[in-house]
Amino acid sequence: MAGKIIYHRESEMPFSPVSSGDMSWNRTGTWRYIRPKYEDKTPPCNAACPAGVDIPMFIGLVGEGRYEEAWNVIREESPFPGVCGRVCFHPCESHCNRADYDEVMAINALERFVADQAPPLEPGSPIRGRREERVAVVGSGPSGLSCAYHLARMGYQVTVFEALPKPGGILRVGIPSYRLPKDILDKEIADIQACGVEIKTNARLGGDLSFKDLEEYEAVFLATGAHVSRKLNIPGEDLEGVGSGLDLLRDINLGKAVHVGRKVAVIGGGNTALDAARAVLRLGGNPLILYRRSREEMPAFDEEVSEALEEGIEIRYLIGPTEIIGLNGRVTQLECIKMELGGEDETGRRRPVPIPQSNFTLEVDTLIVAAGEEPNLTFLPEDIRVEAKMVSTDKGARTSRKEVFAGGDMAHLDRTVAHAIGFGKRAAISIDCVIRKRGVTSVLQGIRVGENGTLSMAKYLSEIARRRSPHVVAFEELNLDYFEHAERNERAKLPVPERVTDFREVSTGLTEQEALREAVRCFSCGVCDGCENCYIFCPDLSVITDEGVVKYRINYDYCKGCGICIAECPRNALSVEKEAK
Amino acid sequence: MKIHIPKEEHMGPGHLACAGCGSPLGLRLALKALGEETVIVIPASCMSIIVGPFPYSAIGVPIVHVAFETAACSASGIRASLDMQGDRKTTVVAWAGDGGTFDIGIQALSGAAERNDDFIYICSDNEAYMNTGIQRSSATPYLAWTTTTPVGNPKERPKKDMMAIMADHGIPYAAAACVAYPEDFIGKLKKAKGIKGTRFIHLLTPCPAGWRIASNESIKVARLAVETKVFPLYEIEGGEVHTITYQPKGTPVEAYLSQQGRFRHLTKEEVATIQENVDRRWDRLVKRCEGRAN
Repeated sequence: MAGKIIYHRESEMPFSPVSSGDMSWNRTGTWRYIRPKYEDKTPPCNAACPAGVDIPMFIGLVGEGRYEEAWNVIREESPFPGVCGRVCFHPCESHCNRADYDEVMAINALERFVADQAPPLEPGSPIRGRREERVAVVGSGPSGLSCAYHLARMGYQVTVFEALPKPGGILRVGIPSYRLPKDILDKEIADIQACGVEIKTNARLGGDLSFKDLEEYEAVFLATGAHVSRKLNIPGEDLEGVGSGLDLLRDINLGKAVHVGRKVAVIGGGNTALDAARAVLRLGGNPLILYRRSREEMPAFDEEVSEALEEGIEIRYLIGPTEIIGLNGRVTQLECIKMELGGEDETGRRRPVPIPQSNFTLEVDTLIVAAGEEPNLTFLPEDIRVEAKMVSTDKGARTSRKEVFAGGDMAHLDRTVAHAIGFGKRAAISIDCVIRKRGVTSVLQGIRVGENGTLSMAKYLSEIARRRSPHVVAFEELNLDYFEHAERNERAKLPVPERVTDFREVSTGLTEQEALREAVRCFSCGVCDGCENCYIFCPDLSVITDEGVVKYRINYDYCKGCGICIAECPRNALSVEKEAK
Repeated sequence: MKIHIPKEEHMGPGHLACAGCGSPLGLRLALKALGEETVIVIPASCMSIIVGPFPYSAIGVPIVHVAFETAACSASGIRASLDMQGDRKTTVVAWAGDGGTFDIGIQALSGAAERNDDFIYICSDNEAYMNTGIQRSSATPYLAWTTTTPVGNPKERPKKDMMAIMADHGIPYAAAACVAYPEDFIGKLKKAKGIKGTRFIHLLTPCPAGWRIASNESIKVARLAVETKVFPLYEIEGGEVHTITYQPKGTPVEAYLSQQGRFRHLTKEEVATIQENVDRRWDRLVKRCEGRAN
């Protein structure tokens, strides 16, 4: 580019006035009083995901047909795309900005689609350098395996101890295969093993395995879950034909022969109750769910409830059991009382209050109790502090014993698969920090996504990855001119008569075409997806397209600060700063 | 909806347009569509300042600066000269403002169109003489404020229908485009490039200073002009065949008018009148597209 052209005398000037230089000498950047800058922000879905999956990034790759890369983006944060793509309660979708436009994104279905396309991982999957330190993980549920996976990917030597004959924890024994087929779980556990995680089954802490055995490890992560069913504490609970929902599901999932009666009452309103009832239906029984509060207070996921209702399962609300009545040691009747809702209890839900004289009896031959679960903490040494029936931990998942960490259902009340994965990841980061003597608190602070405790492993491993402002993008901050209304692509489900005969998966997933159509609906809130609007509409040729991490740069020598790039960015991936005088 | 435009660039930074101006964006997009074998003729207009003074030019193709009223006849002459030299590859483009087209240059343009001289004429319409201080032109919309149609002394005449005037010369191609729709604009230019004869492009280019909008709103407002049907995107082939190239949402005109300071004085009744005018003209356009005379 030429600079200024100076003619010292008339003879130097061209015969006819033909321009020979460009205007690059004219630094129009000096006109500017505001300064645009590229600044990716936090998408609401990402902030809402307890597992911390970078949702717009993986969906963007799906839209380009780059399924394996999309899978790898999910796997940066969670080893369970196939599991979560089926059983997650998807808070990401409840926070999706598209809700205010037409319908929320089918994020959960896309995650499953990505996982279903992925090949099995070859053993010896690449890790970031090898470290000699050994870490023990107790429990192979989502939390334990998430922690083990992340530590193994950081190079640690990780051994997972599992009490049962097969790994997977609640994913294996708690969730029926019509929601999570076993081959999907097996595949993702095999992928975790391919990253170098060693899993030892039939190794129960407090049984063959003692706390002393774990002392040779640099760190221990406890994630034994919550597998003790809460009792009803009413007469007759020891009668034959009375059992817990968790026991029923465990026996079914481990392939044991299970017999249920015809008239089966299920007590409870959580996912275990719903799953137990749906399993009973598939075994030929006739389940009736009794819940002591109303639909609104029910802790089970909406999708589970609506699928159960579709399958013809009756749910009766505001009914509490008072006595189990038996004949010759076997349950025959259940006495119940009607309830009404009173004031709020400690969980913020309205408390059920019995209506006097409203007792009635039901004929039952099997009673399944699914009134909540608690962790078994009897194996813990005394110096590990327990509070409110849970292991107490700090923000870095540390227990009161040095080098012992805990997470998942045994340490938290947020008892979902996604939360468990997030807690496992948090512990892995914390363990790495402790071993490498980094300040846990400040590290965790720096890798937050939003304000709900979500952490980014991508940020932890690379300072330049996913540089995003903590600001969570609101619907009003989007430029909707560039989006078109489009219907959400729903997963198909097996017709009811087909699904209730056995434990086949209910949902059939998106087709490739549906997934591609769905992926392009994503607003990609706050995350530049390379749409080029800033480059296209810049009147001053001051947006430079770049390859690599940063897609675009602004040439501040010439940018006049008109702000069109910011206004025309559909997703609020640019911000404005006042120009320093 | 993703916009795709050619990557090639025949314009450089450092030009003299105001921040947020739609004109340099229009020229930049036009050069992307037409390529480097192009000659641009520029009469007195914002653009004669924007591209830079002698001995500089922000454009990578030859520009010929000409007098206000001579864009079309200069283009005719350059075309004739290239033809004499056997150069059929170079595209001759006249780039004039609305003043240089609707008012001052209409005689030369009408003459060239009647002869069907072979060039592309692009009218970059910002709806007033912006360069000299926002004086009204015959492209200024009904009731819009300008320094010569101040509040209290409104412009009581409608905007001249330049597309109809040009089409009625029987020229092979006339099209209305807008910088907020780059793909549509580039597509029309590429189509025009493949046609011989006088081709007329009516390009709406927002002017933050004259329209009384913030510099960052210019694309937004230009888009509203189209979505409200105030400025439909369409083309007329052979002076007869009308085609709407973008189906607008039909947003009420108030959304467009209320964004701009030049319409801030309008009463509710005046806005309603403008809406009626817009609807009537849109219906007329639709009828013409359907081949029904009006």
